[in-house]
This record gives sequence, structure tokens and C-alpha cells, in this order.
Amino acid sequence: MRFAYEFDWSVLWRHPYGIWILKGLLVTIEVGLLAWIIALILGIFIGTLRITTWRWMRFLGTAYVELFRNIPFIVQLFFWFYAGPMLFGEKLAHQINRIPDLNFYVAIIGLGLYTASRVAEHVRAGFASISRDQYQAVLSTGMTQVQMYRYVIIPYALRIIIPPLTTEFLTIFKNSSVAMTIGLAELTFQSYRIDAVTFHGLEATTGAMFIYLFLGLSVVKFMGLIEKKYKIKGMVGR
Amino acid sequence: MIEIKNVSKWFGDFQVLKNINEVIRQNQTVVVCGPSGSGKSTLLRCINGLEPFQQGEIIVGGVKVNDPKTNIYKLRQKIGMVFQRFELYPHMTALQNITLAPIKVLKLSKKEAEERAMKLLERVGIPEKANEYPANLSGGQQQRVAIARALAMEPEYMLFDEPTSALDPEMIKEVLDVMIDLAKEGMTMLCVTHEMGFAREVADEILFMDYGQIVERGTYEEFFKNPKTERAKDFISHILH
Ligand SMILES: Nc1ncnc2c1ncn2[C@@H]1O[C@H](COP(=O)(O)OP(=O)(O)O)[C@@H](O)[C@H]1O
Ligand SMILES: [Mg+2]
Repeated sequence: MRFAYEFDWSVLWRHPYGIWILKGLLVTIEVGLLAWIIALILGIFIGTLRITTWRWMRFLGTAYVELFRNIPFIVQLFFWFYAGPMLFGEKLAHQINRIPDLNFYVAIIGLGLYTASRVAEHVRAGFASISRDQYQAVLSTGMTQVQMYRYVIIPYALRIIIPPLTTEFLTIFKNSSVAMTIGLAELTFQSYRIDAVTFHGLEATTGAMFIYLFLGLSVVKFMGLIEKKYKIKGMVGR
Repeated sequence: MIEIKNVSKWFGDFQVLKNINEVIRQNQTVVVCGPSGSGKSTLLRCINGLEPFQQGEIIVGGVKVNDPKTNIYKLRQKIGMVFQRFELYPHMTALQNITLAPIKVLKLSKKEAEERAMKLLERVGIPEKANEYPANLSGGQQQRVAIARALAMEPEYMLFDEPTSALDPEMIKEVLDVMIDLAKEGMTMLCVTHEMGFAREVADEILFMDYGQIVERGTYEEFFKNPKTERAKDFISHILH
């Protein structure tokens, strides 16, 4: 009988576990990136809706944000996965449920929709920090509202909110691990799977931990480059 | 010509403009002064439709501003505006600030717009700053870029809202000189300013506003030598120290 735990770090690279981890990492990156694209585009759009002069648009934007940010993400994910297909009617639902890797797409969409509500709030805060006269200055040159947002206000606001957006971008990779609850074979899922097979969960989890850390640091580095490139020239630490 | 007829405006219960009447003829410069909060900025913003108003009408170059059928964007192209705090786009160079609207609104080519912008930067005396970002420019330089930005649309009218009141004293003159040139070249201008040297040199008429009303109007001589109301006398003694 042995009591001492015997470390076996080779579960991180030994066949087939190394492949599992790599595949998991790939899924995590794919889900994170694709969800981020949805979150950015939709978030900017919703954030803009919330401050336009059209009352109905504002209402729509506010409703979206309040709905998505007040429900735990894991609940949203379950909802999209189990109830989402039914939204398209019973007939279509059958077909949707047969889509291979449905959980992959649901994870991307679910995470994208959820993160969009958070991006929208940052975008709105960015807009709010721009003075009323700045908006009026744009309009006074004859630009339309759409042109004003497109060419001046959104590019300016995005530069202001790069730091909080960095945090959201980081969070999206971390939140993607929740998708293991709908059976998505992402990084965390794979480390559990290795544990189940080898009983070396400690090593597998530690490995996953460092991979997440590395991923996060890469995002920080990347956003740092973006910030450097787009920093408003001549402005010190905004 | 800018015609302002019986214009009244409320913010909620608060009446900010009270039956304003004024005609600014072509090539004239009218100066508006008055204490803070008297409605000067609001009046300016009614003229280019940035603020709606509830009563009266404003007609700019024959086009009624407060008519739902008016294409307000088109109208604004003819009305340049300059703000107290410059309001340049911080993420764009001086040149980009000036060329944006000509490119996007007038559909000029980038090259045409840049040529136009460079001419204007020379006119306001800072062609060497074309590629600087606003944060690297002094207040006076920023305001001159802002004037160039407005002029790039080749407007027929210019509105100035206290263009020098956020500037350090040594920069006021460089901005006023540009405005004086404009006035002398025949631009139709409505200027909210307390720079009475400017008013003396170019103003065809001075309006004094108080509590949302024009309480006094006249030439520079009439206004300064013979103010009729107590409020105007008070105000004049304040700005002349
Ligand atoms: N958007 C607004 N909502 C409510 N009140 C306003 C608004 N803008 C200006 N006011 C009020 O209207 C009055 C006139 O403002 P303004 O036209 O800026 O005066 P001035 O330019 O002469 O200092 C002030 O009392 C101001 O507080
Ligand atoms: Mg004002």
C-alpha cells in the first residue's frame, strides 16, 4: 500500500492525452475568438442604440443589456442548448438538434450574445464620456447621425475603452470553460477527461491552468499592441 | 440672410429663449453678448437645428430650419460652427479633422479635400501643423484648426460660440485675427463673444441678451456709449473691469 501521490506529468503530452489537450485548447481558442467577434460587433451596435435619439431603439438596447447581464451565463447557455432550438418551431428544432457539434455553435453564440451585453455597457460609458459639444461639432459639419457614429464617435469611444475591453476579451476565454457543461470538448473538459482515465487530474488541471494563464497573457500582450497603435496621439495615459 | 422670428424655447418648464427676433443680412457680422446662462449658446444651436424650439421660425438663406420637410443635414453644410472648447476629433490629425466632412459629405476625393485643407491651414497660419494631433497643439492652434474645419465645407454662414473664452490671453489674438479677416472678406457671421475689440472692429450690430431675451441692440457705439438698460450698464462695467 502506498500513500504518497506519484506525479506523472507525462499525462500532459503522452499519447493520446497530448492530442486531447491540444484539441481542447484549439476549441477554447475558436470559441473565444468567434464569440468575441460576435460580442464586439453586436456590443458596439447595442451600445450605440442605447444613446441614439430614437426612443424605441434605446428601449431595445436597454432591454437587451438588462436581459443578458442579469441572468447567469451558465443558465443562458443551458437555455440556448436545450430550449434554443425550440424557438424555431418543432419541425426545425428536430433538424437543429441533429446538427453535429451543435454545442460548439451554441457555445459561440451564447457566449457572444452574453459578452455583447457587457461590451455594450462599456461602449455606452465611452459614449457618455464624450461631451455633447463634441457630438454637435460633428453634426454641425453636415454629417448624418450614422456618419457621426461611424467616423468619429465610435472610433473615438473604442480608443477610450480599450482597457475594459481587454478585460472582456480575457474573460471570454475563461467563460468558454462553462461550455463543458453542455458537453463541449474544450480545454477544461479535456483535463477532466484525462483525470477520468488516468486519475492524474492534478497534473491535467495544473497543465490546463498554465495554458489558460498563457492564453490570458497573450491577450494582454495583443491588446497592449493594439492600444499602442491606436492610442490617441499626444494624450498621456487616458 | 438669417431671419429669426418670434422664437421661444423651453427646456421643460424653463423658458430659455423668449420671443427672439433678429435679422442678420448677408455679409454682416453680429455679435451676441450677455451673462452666462442667458441663452446665447442655445440661440446659436437653434439656428443650425442642433436644438429644436417650440415657437417661431428661423429661416436661413430662404430655408426654414424648423420645417420637418427641410433636409437639415444639407442646411448645416451651409452653416459652419465653432465651439468654445474647439471639439476637434482627438484621434485624427489636423488634416484629417478638416478633410473628414468634405470627403464624407461633399464626396470630394481625398486629394481634393487635402488641397482644400492645406489652403485653409495656410489661411489660418499653421500649415506646418497639418499632421499633428490635437493634443499636441496649443489651444489657439486647435481653435484655428476648428475654424478651418468649418470653412472646409465652404459655408455661407458662420456661428461662433465664445471661440476665445477657453484660451490663454496670449492666444486670443491669433484666433480673433482669423475671425476679423473672415468678417472683412464678407462672411455672414453670428458671434457669441465678449471680446469688445473684435466687436468694435467688425460688428455691424451688437445684441445683448439677458434671461433669454434680447434686451438691447445697436452698433458698437450705441451699445457702449449709451446702454439703455441697467443690466447692460452693469454688464459693460464688468467686462471692461
Ligand atoms: N440641454 C439642456 N437642458 C436643460 N437646460 C439647459 C440645456 N442647455 C442649456 N440649458 C439651460 O439653459 C440656459 C441657457 O443656457 P445657454 O444657452 O448655454 O446660455 P449661455 O450660452 O448664454 O451661457 C441655462 O440656464 C442652462 O442651464
Ligand atoms: Mg454658452
